[in-house]
This record gives sequence, structure tokens and C-alpha cells, in this order.
Amino acid sequence: MMTQRLQLTVSSLSEMNMYEKLNILTDAAKYDVACTSSGTERKNDGTGTGNCTQSGICHSFSADGRCISLLKILFTNECIYDCKYCVNRRNNDVVRASFTPDEVCTLTMEFYRRNYIEGLFLSSGILKSPDYTMELIYATLFQLRQKYNFQGYIHVKAIPGADLELVRRVGFLADRMSVNLELPTAEGLKALAPHKTRKNILMPMRLVQNRMEENRQELQLYRNAPRFVPAGQSTQMIIGATPETDYQIMQVAESLYQKFELKRVFYSAFVHVNDDAALPAKTGDGPPLLREHRLYQADWLLRYYHFRAEELLTEDNPNFNVLFDPKCNWALRHLEIFPVEINRADYKMLLRVPGIGYKSAVRIVKARKLGTLDFTDLKKIGVVLKRALYFITCNGRMMYPTKIEEDYITRNLLSAGEKLPPDVTGMGYRQLSLFDTVTS
Amino acid sequence: MKTVYVCNDTVTGIFSGIYDAWKAKKDEEDCKIALRGMLEQELFCDYVEVEETEHKAAAVEALIKRHLGQLAYWDIYHAILSADCQKGDAVLGAMLAAKKIPDSTKIMEHLSHPKVEKVFELSRNVGGEAHNYKGFLRFRELENGVLYAEIEPKNQILTCLAPHFADRLPMENWMIHDRTHKMFAVHEGGKRWVIVWGEQFDETVFEKVSDREKEYARLWKGFCRTIAIKERENPRCQLQHLPLRYRTDMVEFF
Repeated sequence: MMTQRLQLTVSSLSEMNMYEKLNILTDAAKYDVACTSSGTERKNDGTGTGNCTQSGICHSFSADGRCISLLKILFTNECIYDCKYCVNRRNNDVVRASFTPDEVCTLTMEFYRRNYIEGLFLSSGILKSPDYTMELIYATLFQLRQKYNFQGYIHVKAIPGADLELVRRVGFLADRMSVNLELPTAEGLKALAPHKTRKNILMPMRLVQNRMEENRQELQLYRNAPRFVPAGQSTQMIIGATPETDYQIMQVAESLYQKFELKRVFYSAFVHVNDDAALPAKTGDGPPLLREHRLYQADWLLRYYHFRAEELLTEDNPNFNVLFDPKCNWALRHLEIFPVEINRADYKMLLRVPGIGYKSAVRIVKARKLGTLDFTDLKKIGVVLKRALYFITCNGRMMYPTKIEEDYITRNLLSAGEKLPPDVTGMGYRQLSLFDTVTS
Repeated sequence: MKTVYVCNDTVTGIFSGIYDAWKAKKDEEDCKIALRGMLEQELFCDYVEVEETEHKAAAVEALIKRHLGQLAYWDIYHAILSADCQKGDAVLGAMLAAKKIPDSTKIMEHLSHPKVEKVFELSRNVGGEAHNYKGFLRFRELENGVLYAEIEPKNQILTCLAPHFADRLPMENWMIHDRTHKMFAVHEGGKRWVIVWGEQFDETVFEKVSDREKEYARLWKGFCRTIAIKERENPRCQLQHLPLRYRTDMVEFF
């Protein structure tokens, strides 16, 4: 690492070439989570390059298993802020670089032609001032859309504290906008990002929300009115840098969905890049990936499965179970309503069965109108039977004779091999010994 | 006695077979569509060679669209592109089953019917592969400026990919080479795409790339390497999303 940095510094004395620059500004952008290209459908008008598909398209997967869909780069990694968790904080001795709008455009266009990417994800450190940075971003997007006639996907970060008029203008060029919440609570933000305030983050978020609402009405009147952030806005927060519980985080996420109408909330497991007294002590465990995974699972339950945050967690039980996903965990605590009959249960009940996803639930509801369903049909429909079988009946019969008991189901689900890191499964279940104390 | 209609493994061929079977007004048990070259001989059957015509195919397409709806046609069309040899039979079975339910347009929801389920499964498989290739396909710029991509799909997905790229890159000259089925999708800037097969190309042209090409490939490789977070490395997760068979033609894995 040291030698690599040294080499870079030496070469940056002379003119920094494109390869190095891209390397630095990719490296600085990689901690941003969102890389989705979904949420909007746009055809090419026949004169430019690019289109958008509703589902989004993944173009590659990096070694960490995350999807590469957009060219995710920072405009610059120079920054006047001193956020303690960030590699690009002003105190850090890292090689700094900046793109020019032209360079970003050329890279995007050439990558896009070769089908490497679905579009551009442009974020930035704060160069000089939030307004100055936002103007540079605007200039880049304007050029990309107008001069290069790029009609693919653009995800852009709104810089907190930038003039709202600039944010509004950028919104007409981008497909998705996001303002990072950074940390789940205002106290956390104060401790770790002294130059950012909750107000400065929520203000552009509210602006985008209101402007989107107005835009919806404009579009009803004039079909060809310019579209403002058609793929909606998202945000992300860092998990594990501050002591919030999962319950608090889920409540924040829920209120963001309800009050700010966000499309997505992303969770980013805290990765130790800086040594700072304000950050949690470094342990050998690495980032809290399982916790992040559970939060995402719960997030899906909020958005697609009609769950509420307080159903999943409570004040007394504020963190997710490491052994089971939130839905399984919920089902195990509500065994009184199971098993449910597949051929009769209503859609919302089906959604709550572990092993049945929203797509299979829709298919079940449609298919059972035309004939009764059996376990073999369910398997083909896409239900994960090894998880669902404890909670469902088909025509009044269970798949195997099973007991509706928490212990029994827990043991069987665990041995069916929930996907867990080995250190967690190790303690999951073991041979019962005579000397074990019996606890419920 | 059962009649087996033997047809070519193309959309036109299979639709022609369905046309003949449909005309004969047979029950589901009394007829079968088989593909030439993938035939399993059975006892006590009549084998009928299907004459392949555009007219028959168009008639079947119109029949499906009118009575089963556009969405069902989408599923059936994708099922027919599959590499499975029972696809024709499954489609015919689903069409016959549609006659027996009150609302034929709901046929693809009738998943407890084995033939409908088969069509659904095939369509999902083909659609999935086509969607994957929309992302995983890589163009390289040849010396003459043409964007050229090679793929090796299991199913015949060129007709799913071509409209997508024609909309996306309308001004470019590009071609996609399907090595499995020895077919090409060719698009000339500003014009409509065409499917070409049975023609010999000078393969050496495909090896000569433009000067800029190597530089952009290098930038892309660097990008893919840098974007990964070391602390989160997870090759199994990567493998699950991006199986090895796609990687042979992806420049970042060279």
C-alpha cells in the first residue's frame, strides 16, 4: 500500500495519466453503495446513444460480489470537509485528482458503447464550496446530455449545502438523485461529520420530493414536459460506526420511505479506513456484513411485504437475530397463525410465509383460480419449500408430518442450511447432552 | 393413433408444426410436436413431416395473439427459442389447454397444468439468459469502427438482444456473433437489424481491433479491479451472480 502510494505520488508530479486518475477516483468512490440502474424506462429517440430499462441491468460483478452497473466515480476526491469515516477527508494524506467534465463524458460514452456500463454514477468530494462542486457536476451532466446526446442512466449525488436552484437544475438532467444521510441519527452525524448537518441533508431531499410531485402533475398535463428525477431518489447510511440499534435504523428507514417517499435506502457496513478516536475501535472481524444483510432483508419486508418496523423489532428486542432472516424470525414468534392453507389464504398472508416471495405469492393467487395447487406445483412456481414447508398446508395437508413448535422448526431450519458464515452456524445447533440446562 | 409432427428447430418451423396439429383438431394425447434431429422414436405413432411456410407461422402467431393475448405470446415466443427439445410439445399443450379454461388470456396463470408450467419454465429460462447477456455482452471496436461482440448462449436469444441494442445504439454499426448457433445479428447505423446465418465471414477481421480499443479495455479492467472493496471480498457471491460460462467473452476477466 505504502509503495503503491509512493509510486502514485511520484508519477503525479508529472502529468497524471487517465489510467491513474480513473484508478484514484474509482477507489475513492467505491464505498458508495448504490449501483442500481432501475426505476425508469426510456427509449432512445433515434439520434443519440443509450436508453433505460425499468428493471435495470447489471453489467458485471466485482470480486466483492457487488453488481457493477454504472461507472461509479468521484468528480474529485479533494474535499474541504473532515468526515471521520471517509477516505477523502481533508486531513488524510492521499493522492488527490480531479476529472474535467470532458474526461467524464468521454469515458462514459466509450464505456457505454462497448456495453461495459448502463450509465454514470457521479459523486464528488467538496471542492472549494458545495455550490462550486455542484456547478461542476451540473456542467458535466449538461455536456453529457446535450453535446454527447447521452440518453442512458445517470445517478448523481446532491451535495448537501449546495444552492437549491442548482439541485433542481441537476435533477432535470439525472435519472436518480441521492443525498447521503451518512449516519442514522443527528447525534451520530454531529460526532463523525462535523461539517454536515441534518438540516443540510434533509433540505435537498425534501426539495427533490416536492419537485417530483410537481413534475408528476406537469406530466399529466403535458406528456412531453421535461422529467425530473424519473427514477426517484435514494439515500444511504453507514451501519456500525455509531451505536444505533437495528430498531432505530429500521425506524429511520421507515420514516424516510413514508415521509420522503424515497425509492431506496441503502445500508453500508462500516469499513475501517481511518484511525480516529471518534470511530469504534478496530477489531479483527471486518465490516458487519451479516448485520447489513439482515437490514437489507428487513428493508425488503418494509417495501414489498407490507411489514412495519415495529412488527419486526421492539424496544426490548432491538436487534435482528443472527440465525434467521427477519421474516423467519417473525414467523417463529407468531406460530399461532400458522400453518396457512395455500389454496385459501389471502395475498397478504401468503407474503408473510417464509420461503414465499412476492412474485411466487402473485403466481399462487392467480394459479389457484384455475386449479388446486399441490407441493410439486409450488416448487415449480418458485417457492422455497425447505423453508416454507413448516408453515403451509396444501389441501389441508402438510408436506411431511411436522410439529408446529418453535424449537422443532428452529432446529430443522438450521439443519436445512441457512446461508450463514461458519462461525455463526458453528454455534447454531449441537448434539443435545444430558447436562444441558433446559431453557425455552 | 398418435401423430407426431416433425419440424425444424426454428420459430417458423415449430409454428408450422403447431399449425398442422391444430388443423387436424387432435386432442392433447393424440398429437406431439418433435424437432428434426432431436427425435426420440416411439412405437405406435404416425410420423408426419411438416412443411415449413411463413404463412403457417404468421397464422399461428396471429391466433395466439388474438386468443391468448400479447403477454402469453411473449412467453410462448421465448419458450420456442429454448434449447429444450420438448418446447414445441409444451407450447401446443398449453394452447390446447387454453381452449378448456373460461378465459383463454389467463392461460399462463394456469401453472398447475404441466404443459403450461413447462412453457413458463422455458420462457423464464430464456428470458433470464437474454437479460443476463444484455449486461454481460461486450463489444469491441474493430479497425473499421464496427462494434463486434461474441456470445455463446444456450438458447437462441439473438432476436431478444438485437432490438435492445438497436434501440440503445441506433447510430452505431454493430454485430453480435452467436457461436453456439452460428448466427449473427447485424445492425447498420440508422437502419434496421437483421439476422444472418449460413454465411461465411472472414474471421480474421474480428481479431483486428482499433488502437483506442486496447486503451479502453485497460481502463475498464482497472476500474473493475479497483471498485471492489477488499474487506468485503466474496468470490462465491460473485460466482453466483456471474457464472463462469459468461466470463469467457468478458474483457475484464481476460
